[in-house]
Amino acid sequence: MIICDIEAKPLVRMNAVLKKFGQLEVLRDISLDVREGEVICIIGPSGSGKSTLLRCINGLIEINQGEITVGDIRVDTLKTERDFIALRHQVAMVFQQFNLFPHRNVIDNITMAPIKVLKQKPEQVRERAMQLLQKVRLVDKAHAFPSQLSGGQQQRVAIVRALAMQPRVILFDEVTSALDPEMVSEVLEVIKDLAKEGMTCILVTHEMRFAREVADRVFFTDRGIIVEHGPPQALFDHPKDERLKEFLMKVL
Amino acid sequence: MSDGQEGRDWRDFLVGLCGVTMILFAILTIIYRAGTLDALNTLRDLSPMLLTGSPQWGPLRGGFSTNIQISLWAMAISLCLGFLLGTGLISRYGSIRLPSVFVMNTLRNSPWLVILYAMLYAVPYEIGIGRTTFEISPEVKAIIGLSLPTLANIAEVFRAGIQSIRAGQWEAARSLGYSSGQITRLIILPQALPLMLPNLMTTYAALFIGTSLVVVTGANDLLAVARVVIGSGAEKYATAIYIYILFVYFIFSFPIAIWTRRLERQVRAGK
Repeated sequence: MIICDIEAKPLVRMNAVLKKFGQLEVLRDISLDVREGEVICIIGPSGSGKSTLLRCINGLIEINQGEITVGDIRVDTLKTERDFIALRHQVAMVFQQFNLFPHRNVIDNITMAPIKVLKQKPEQVRERAMQLLQKVRLVDKAHAFPSQLSGGQQQRVAIVRALAMQPRVILFDEVTSALDPEMVSEVLEVIKDLAKEGMTCILVTHEMRFAREVADRVFFTDRGIIVEHGPPQALFDHPKDERLKEFLMKVL
Repeated sequence: MSDGQEGRDWRDFLVGLCGVTMILFAILTIIYRAGTLDALNTLRDLSPMLLTGSPQWGPLRGGFSTNIQISLWAMAISLCLGFLLGTGLISRYGSIRLPSVFVMNTLRNSPWLVILYAMLYAVPYEIGIGRTTFEISPEVKAIIGLSLPTLANIAEVFRAGIQSIRAGQWEAARSLGYSSGQITRLIILPQALPLMLPNLMTTYAALFIGTSLVVVTGANDLLAVARVVIGSGAEKYATAIYIYILFVYFIFSFPIAIWTRRLERQVRAGK
């Protein structure tokens, strides 16, 4: 676990964020700071706005009120696609359903965005991609198509695809929920390694054991608000709020 | 793709081909009895006229060759404009989407024959631009008339194809920083086009059969040639000639139908 410099400027900051879908307030008064190198887990019942929260951080969803900053970028005021490219260099995302591009092989899936979006040199990108594949032990699958891989392998490729953008923070949206049980650990191991190397990670997860083991801080959300947050031991062993107690009863 | 299914395609094709040929031939013999051989000889002699519009197999001046040309032009135009209208159908902006939906529904739900008649009266025989005048031939009117409903159908095929790509693909592509144009070109279209192909072919088959209606615009198509031939001394063989026309349409459309079915299966298997 990384010991964080409390004085450091937060890498991700959400301040009083409000998000409505129609009349429904899915996020209310969300404020959180994430420092460089921190691992944050967001837990809570389904429909509590966790995934929406993640999508706001990288601008996939526009917010109604409040501020979001990543590094020096004000996310909520970005307008043009060109503005967003700078943000894509800072924030990458991994999805529950992997969302690899099925018509391209593994190496293309990984290298296309750095080449086409960040305009980096193809040879360098390719070399980096192979190193990353080595790390997740999938070098031999570089030329396979996503449909030829298991769920766990696809998700590891998706993580490499995110890493290839050389982001400062990675968002993980329930990345093990769509996996068969025996494949969950191979994906969690990869995330654990990333965390050890100091990558800033924000995870929405249902893996409570993983959260306790890896997270620096855990946030519990319910019906669009952050109910309680703190270090995992405090949150899991001494929950204060009734809703959190009830939730932990159900999932543990 | 297993060989068994491919073999079944061939079997279905041959069975259909022989079956339909035999049935049409049976009808011919029932009607003409002893005169069947004469009828067949007449059809053989009339074939160049009916298929190419000229007695010596060329130049191509009408008949079935005109149907093929009209269908190809109309398909080419419909593909371009249909994809354009289809992009309108999935536009984020209501000011583009709603008019597109309106146009698509109007065109798609108009009877083809009515549109073709409308072409006859709505489109002038010639258009003057500056001092030059362009003649608008009946064939051009037919092409425009058939393109209108077809492009609306293709717009729908396009919309359905694009929207069948899961939202996660857009999300993943956007979070990797691709622009809308890049997402469409690199991620969505390469996946959606193969899905659209069977439906596009079905649309073409319908368009092709629809070319039998262009006779009302005055185009010199197979039916028009047939009527001239029948009117100038072949009354006796009118039925035979219409059976022949059915056969020609069948020979052209049936392979498309079989091929479409095969593509559909490949698309399903590739999913």
